Amino acid sequence: MKKHFFNLSNWLIITLILSSCTKVIDIDLNSVSLQLVIEGNISDLPVPYTINLSKTVNFSETNVFPPVSGAIVKISDNTGNSEILTETSPGIYTTSIIQGTPGKTYTLTVTSEGKNYEAVSTMPFSVNIDTLTIQEFCNGIQGAGANNIIAEYINVQFNDSAEINNYYRFIQINNRVQQDDIFLVDDHLQNGKTISNLLAHTINNFQPGDTVTVLLQTIDIGVYEYFRTLSQLRSAELSSSPSNPLSNFNNGALGYFSAYSVRSKTIVIP
Amino acid sequence: MKKLTTILLILTLTISLFAQTTNKYTISGSVRDSATGEELIGANLFIKELIPATGASTNAYGFYSITIPEGNYTVTAQFIGYEPKSVQIALKQNTKLDFTLAENTTQLGEVVIAAEKKDENITKTQMGIEKIDIKEIKNIPVLLGERDVLKIIQLRPGVKSAGEGNSGFYVRGGAADQNLILLDEATVYNASHLLGFFSVFNSDALKDVTLYKGGQPSEYGGRLSSVLDIRMKDGNDKKFGVEGGIGLMASRLTIEGPIIKEKGSFTISGRRTYADLFLKLSNDSTINQNKLYFYDLNVKANYRLNDKDRIFLSGYFGKDVLGMKKIFGFDWGNTTSTLRWNHLFSAKMFSNTSLIFSNYNYNINIEPAGTKVKIISRIQDYNVKQDFQYFLNSKNKLKFGFNSIYHRIIPGAITNESDSTISELNLNNKHALENAAYISHELKPTALFSVEYGIRLSSFSVLGPGDFYTYNEMGETKDTASYSSGEFVKTYFNIEPRINANYIISANSSLKASYGRNTQNLHLLSNFTSGNPTDIWIPSSNNVKPEISNQISIGYFRNFQDNNYEFSTEIYYKHLQNQIEYKDGAKQFNIFGNGNELIFNENVESQLLFGTGRAYGIEFFLKKKYGRFNGWLGYTLAKSEKKIEGINNGEYFPAKQDRTHDISIVGIYELSKKWTISATWVYYTGNAVTFPSGKYQVAGQIVNYYMERNGYRMPDYHRLDIGATWQRKKTEKFESSWNFSLYNAYGRKNAFSITFKEDPNDPTKTQAVQTTLFQWIPSFTYNFKF
Repeated sequence: MKKHFFNLSNWLIITLILSSCTKVIDIDLNSVSLQLVIEGNISDLPVPYTINLSKTVNFSETNVFPPVSGAIVKISDNTGNSEILTETSPGIYTTSIIQGTPGKTYTLTVTSEGKNYEAVSTMPFSVNIDTLTIQEFCNGIQGAGANNIIAEYINVQFNDSAEINNYYRFIQINNRVQQDDIFLVDDHLQNGKTISNLLAHTINNFQPGDTVTVLLQTIDIGVYEYFRTLSQLRSAELSSSPSNPLSNFNNGALGYFSAYSVRSKTIVIP
Repeated sequence: MKKLTTILLILTLTISLFAQTTNKYTISGSVRDSATGEELIGANLFIKELIPATGASTNAYGFYSITIPEGNYTVTAQFIGYEPKSVQIALKQNTKLDFTLAENTTQLGEVVIAAEKKDENITKTQMGIEKIDIKEIKNIPVLLGERDVLKIIQLRPGVKSAGEGNSGFYVRGGAADQNLILLDEATVYNASHLLGFFSVFNSDALKDVTLYKGGQPSEYGGRLSSVLDIRMKDGNDKKFGVEGGIGLMASRLTIEGPIIKEKGSFTISGRRTYADLFLKLSNDSTINQNKLYFYDLNVKANYRLNDKDRIFLSGYFGKDVLGMKKIFGFDWGNTTSTLRWNHLFSAKMFSNTSLIFSNYNYNINIEPAGTKVKIISRIQDYNVKQDFQYFLNSKNKLKFGFNSIYHRIIPGAITNESDSTISELNLNNKHALENAAYISHELKPTALFSVEYGIRLSSFSVLGPGDFYTYNEMGETKDTASYSSGEFVKTYFNIEPRINANYIISANSSLKASYGRNTQNLHLLSNFTSGNPTDIWIPSSNNVKPEISNQISIGYFRNFQDNNYEFSTEIYYKHLQNQIEYKDGAKQFNIFGNGNELIFNENVESQLLFGTGRAYGIEFFLKKKYGRFNGWLGYTLAKSEKKIEGINNGEYFPAKQDRTHDISIVGIYELSKKWTISATWVYYTGNAVTFPSGKYQVAGQIVNYYMERNGYRMPDYHRLDIGATWQRKKTEKFESSWNFSLYNAYGRKNAFSITFKEDPNDPTKTQAVQTTLFQWIPSFTYNFKF
């Protein structure tokens, strides 16, 4: 259904903003006390896994985010395995022993500047991608103007498992460049069915011979909620009350810790 | 309940105290326009022989009743914009006396009439009231020349625009959904077209527009902030007439005339935009088959069965349509219909019975090759209303009645007529019964003091069938209870006392005070600026409690220069309970999600937070009513805050409609018989808004970091609109005029929105980008009448 709705709200806005114009303005924003940002992943891929620690900066500053060194970073699972990570470069902490296994629950603890932060994530079982297809759109409508295709998107099809509450995240890689978009789907309306999901990426400029790889991550609800609210925040230009994404960390840390399993598929653009 | 009995007891006592009559008779009747036969609402009648002058004013159906001792009197009827008329009578029995007033044909400036009763704002008990004169608004410049009562009302103090060019409004710090908007007594759930740029009210079809900002009379209930009571024209019962206009955006046409001369009349009024006609000019087949328009149709008919009975039937049908070829369609609109019966039980007892239906819905249809998906959402009311007005004597007037509404809400249903991987979805329909009974007493014990006090008892019952959920703190479903059809799930009772009092200090000044409690059981969930057609109304439930407000206000009213100038100031404080906000990161009811898919969340109640609010402020209003130059100046200083556990550490924070300063100036000048020029200027400080304070990096992306909700302000807004009306021709048979306007005359770049994003030229930086909507929008309209 996604494909048919694509562009609806854009359409409303474009049509109604009769003579809009934009300009860059100066706004006096408050300075913030620096907050810890943790980005951590563990998957069913082989070791190593990395955890990044950095800090926020004021909005007006350049995009240089200070790494956080000297923290104690520990991953443990619910079967008694644990490991303290090594800081391999400033702010980047790497595992060497612990292996991600679907079905296990992982806890990441970070101790930095006298404060403790903790997040828990369970790694779901992996799901294979059945097919990747290319779909052509015009004005957001599939097949609407065969002569003037203005967008091409990748459609992913896979079989949802029988149990309820499965959450998926897709990552699209065009010619080895990972795309920014956050693609998510859950089985709320389609439990146990074949799920067909369009990756409505802003602009795909496919050329014959390009390769497109899609990663299908199965994630838990905490991670799904983080990416859902992150994606909502990004597309929330007209929202009147944006807020920070819902992190699975306690103690006010920003970011997320995701234990996921992943499968991928690649196609070549004909 | 004890409180109630006491109040009723006092009520009965006071009535009996002032109700001792000897040889008193009643003069009653109606006041109408002599040319069209339209009843004039709020026309004043007074009897100058009685000292102090005793009077009455006509009700919403043009009816008045005065009971006075036997004697010889001069009864004068007058209404703004009309020549007053006096009639001598020898009152020896109950007398029916109808007035017909002729419109002032002379220029306003030349009107020199006895100024006895132009001081209505001083003598009237009601405060916190804004009346819009439909004739006056014809000269005020507006966006794209579409005359709009909702935009004119925003130029009054205490009433704020919901945004650039928006017909949505906030009253005294209340949210947009806290305004009860009534069209011939039917609730209009979404009063805007095209994302709020135009209201659904075609001013050609309207007769009276009254906004109550506080001290709402007891007959109204159901919303916290205000009541906007709009009445449609009844139609000319003397002769047929056609009136219309051709503008840049839309054209209008009204036809009215008698059904049976001086017994019944009808009016049909239509308006349609034609932006989509321009789309047809495009050579691009993906554009020229698109649809984009809205229309409004107002119809009304009335018939006088006899001296005592009259029947009215009125309806409104409006729709916005947006479509792309046959593949995609999106439409939304309101339908209302009202059947009314006026009955006079006696010269003193007026009754009105109304059967009202109102509906708001949106539909989305998608049928590209092989698929056919339909989405509908709807709110419907079936409403019975009975009102009595008992004109006891010149000092006492009673109003009482009841109202019963059955609400039916289809929050969202997806049907699928083809094979698709998407399941059908039917959210639980919601059913509720809202009942109210009220009584109020208007008492004028002395010439200098008047008071109107009353009480409204309201109940709201959530009915089955359906599953009702309770949630834990995490927002997960804790418990589900199933109810069968018609079963009462939860009932809320509320007692709403209301009082307005007026003390006349001198012939040209008075002091007024009011207190009122209001409750609200339907809540609009919206995370956008107003006017989003897919915003959803949810009823109070086991999780959502009724919103309650208590407002007190005090006002000083003063007229100058023989009532040529009116000045008033009102100060108010409002306390609000059970206010609703979305949680941070809430899964909203319906959003265009990732890839703009419409997502419904049936557990939306788990995504809400509840708390209290307070709003206070002071309003100043100075109006020049007469003369070649007239207009007004309004200023509001106000604050509106909320306190909700889970947002901003449970501290008071500004509501999104909080705006500190708000100034509006309206001036209309009659240059000559042919030309009238006008200008409006508005200035306000920015609304509260959420901006990021910092940023960080996650998943290779820059993410904005927010410290608090509504912690920043939008930039100040100001705008000048100018207009001119050229009366081209004016004879008995045919009138025509041209109306020119320029919106945002000095091209101020006002901020519609501010977004924070990566600098496209320098990925190491981020920037704030302001979007401006309208700069220098000229328009012209041709109006005719014959």
